[in-house]
Amino acid sequence: MENDKKTMNFLTAKNRLNKSKTHWIGLFLGFMLFFALPLLVQSNHYILQVFTHALLLAALALAWDLLGASGSISLGHAAFFGAGAYASALLGLDLGLSPWATIPLAGLIATGLGLIMGLICLRLRGAYFALATLAFVEIPWVITDNWDSLTRGSLGLVGISGLPSIRIHGFHVDFGSSIVVSYYLIFAYFMILLGLVAFVHQSNIGLALQAIREEEIAAEAVGIHVNGYRLLSLLMSAFFTGVCGACYAHLVRYIEPGLVYGLHFSAVPMIFAICGGRLTILGPAVAAMVLYPMDQFVFHPLLPAGHEFLYGAVLILAMLFMPNGFWGRLRNAS
Amino acid sequence: MILLRLKSLNKTFNHFCALTDIDFSVGEGEIVGLVGPNGAGKTTLFNLISGRYKPSSGNILFKDIDITHLKPHAICRLGISRTFQSSRPFPGMSVLQNVMVGHVFGKRSSLHSRPENKQAAKELLDIVGIAHKADAPAGRLTLSEQRRLDLARALATRPKLLLLDEVAAGFSPVLVKQAVELINRVRKRGVTLLIIDHFLNLSLKVSDRLLALDHGEKIAEGPPHVVMRNPEVLRAYLGLRHESERD
Repeated sequence: MENDKKTMNFLTAKNRLNKSKTHWIGLFLGFMLFFALPLLVQSNHYILQVFTHALLLAALALAWDLLGASGSISLGHAAFFGAGAYASALLGLDLGLSPWATIPLAGLIATGLGLIMGLICLRLRGAYFALATLAFVEIPWVITDNWDSLTRGSLGLVGISGLPSIRIHGFHVDFGSSIVVSYYLIFAYFMILLGLVAFVHQSNIGLALQAIREEEIAAEAVGIHVNGYRLLSLLMSAFFTGVCGACYAHLVRYIEPGLVYGLHFSAVPMIFAICGGRLTILGPAVAAMVLYPMDQFVFHPLLPAGHEFLYGAVLILAMLFMPNGFWGRLRNAS
Repeated sequence: MILLRLKSLNKTFNHFCALTDIDFSVGEGEIVGLVGPNGAGKTTLFNLISGRYKPSSGNILFKDIDITHLKPHAICRLGISRTFQSSRPFPGMSVLQNVMVGHVFGKRSSLHSRPENKQAAKELLDIVGIAHKADAPAGRLTLSEQRRLDLARALATRPKLLLLDEVAAGFSPVLVKQAVELINRVRKRGVTLLIIDHFLNLSLKVSDRLLALDHGEKIAEGPPHVVMRNPEVLRAYLGLRHESERD
């Protein structure tokens, strides 16, 4: 018992949600709920579409928080999201590659963009870093908008192929035409990313990121390569954000620069992460899966023009009353 | 054998000379006290050695390796560790975790498993006398406990040379006595020490040699009782040095 307690103490603060069995049971029930969702809603197209997007946004929030773990707040993740979306769509449209190939390639292209952002912005800290990332989005946006011969400019891209079909032993699954299959594909991506984030947090990388976040000067003094780890977290974050953008392009099948590079995809993961708990693993994801459906099912019908006020209001309330997010608050209470 | 050698080290901040032409060496196994009034450049010297600041000119050699332009984490991995004037724990981690961070990232010579790391970290907490606080969040420690934690974390990186910045400032006589014992224990582990001690409550008791700074210049070095009788040092501490220059 004593020994157990101490083992757990070794784990980073973020990982304390594994502290007891109830957490595992909760996690399992949540998994089963989302796994069985298509059955529960009898494949209702609209409801499933909303939850597919909710899962995609949850994955986006997880990816954003990989950088957040190093203590840096990004206001410019739309750069990776948009670049991923455009890269995957163009590789499919112009070279005829399958989305199975273009989605990871899009992630790599977003990582390259992350490297450029890192070289420019990582020397900055705090609000200066955040503002620099906000400005950084303009670079891929302006390029996409104006390089007409490659990107079709501000017209956007239409006719992007849907998520691909798989054939296993003659069993044919058509992802593009079935929302149920799209849902499961995004769900699988979300689960993989969640596992990866949990792994990073309890590894030495997570320990280094926590040290950097809490006391950077001491971190470098005990041998942590501060900018190396900050760059690593930015690159991981950029990769998975790019993959999210690529999935989005194949899900919606129509993109334009203002849609994928707009403030929306920079702000939304930050809002989910801060409301849910920036320093927890699950918080950002849970916030996405609660807030986005709430926005779509409740506020959108009520206020078609201004439904997104929900995000602003929730963000302000969270910062005033739950600066650690509601998941962080729950964890501290337990 | 000389462990650390400073060669005509200069540091200026916007035309203000924080350190001027410092030449000094520290031998292996020595305890050297770094004394001088406020603003003499003691902490600046630590920041140069540990790589946080880069000197304007001059060189720093550690074990005959030029570390002048290395980054702090690289200098730490070579075997120089430090504590801070106002200690800097990782507040969200437990006390034990703080020390383990030093173990994990400090010196890459040997990769240990986590249980081994934890055992070693506990021993260090025992040495500095806060083993009973191992599971407490580091942010909740008292000032004296935080300084001990800073020291344990610095030792966890397995340094050859340890820079202690004002470990005993503001300590009661009882705590100073404990600090003296602690430093002797650290020395027995084969660690060379450079100790900043503005109030002279520690270095006179433990140092083999003193280096006295004033206004960024070396004004004296040698055995403690000699340095403390040096008229320059007395004037610096009593604030007479620069007045006397006007006479």
